[in-house]
Amino acid sequence: MKVNDFFQYREGITQNGIFLTFNGVLIHSFMVQLGEVLKMKMSLFNVDKNLEAKIFATVIEQAQNIIFYSSERQPVPAMKGVMVGVGTITVGMEEDNHYYVICGNMLPTDKVEKLNHRLTMIQNMNQDELKQYYKEQRRMTPDADSKGAGLGFIEMARKSSNAIEFDFRKLDEINSYFTIKATF
Amino acid sequence: MENLIIEKTTATPEIRFDYATGILELLGESYPEDTVVFYAPVFEWLKNFLNNNKERAITVNLEIIYFNSSSSKALMNFFDLLEAAANAGRKVVVNWIYAKGNEGALEYGEEFKEDLDALEFILVEKNV
Repeated sequence: MKVNDFFQYREGITQNGIFLTFNGVLIHSFMVQLGEVLKMKMSLFNVDKNLEAKIFATVIEQAQNIIFYSSERQPVPAMKGVMVGVGTITVGMEEDNHYYVICGNMLPTDKVEKLNHRLTMIQNMNQDELKQYYKEQRRMTPDADSKGAGLGFIEMARKSSNAIEFDFRKLDEINSYFTIKATF
Repeated sequence: MENLIIEKTTATPEIRFDYATGILELLGESYPEDTVVFYAPVFEWLKNFLNNNKERAITVNLEIIYFNSSSSKALMNFFDLLEAAANAGRKVVVNWIYAKGNEGALEYGEEFKEDLDALEFILVEKNV
């Protein structure tokens, strides 16, 4: 970025109410620290603890999606070249003073249809249906071998005040870009 | 059998399973890097206890302030093991401890309670 472009960049993120954003390779310890910063920021502004808990939980689920499932992965030299998931997480506030969490990462184009179907189903469920579906899914995989992702999207939908929003952008036959948003 | 002691970290709870008293305690937050790996010794300890002590009662004191979705599955599996033991006639008490005003912790406690019949699942409100 050029130094004289920074003001424009700042205007853009300010207009979108963004106060915390992370972009790049995401490892577990980054996620933990990101969560800590989020909690500190919220306590500075006396954000209601139950609201804070919902936003925190959503950030953790979205971060773990990137860690486990982002198809964009980079080798990390200090970790003996282990391939680490790349993604972007943003927490901000809408003009109407509602918080939002958006997360984006690459995923294989051939996985879009199935995920789209599943998220559309979750998006159309009311809170009672989400609760039942959550409990069903929790019992479906007793050995927790799917790393919990089966429940992560349901969890986000349960925490979100409005229906979750999501988008798939096809880049080519191999890669698509997936974005999901929860509002509080 | 030795006691199981795991110290607390930011993303994992403190765990204290006491063989002599049969009191199992989990305290803190749970969003481990690898849930299966983190909880493996917990399941191993519990299964050993259940297999080697057919009659003894178990009390579980849980105060998990936040847990992620994969920990939720792990907890369900943990309760299912205890539920099976209770069905086989063992006395099992689970105290689900939550801070007053923590809606999420209460709600998730209630949801576990709804799915468990044989073991005694008690919601315990703690004043902060």
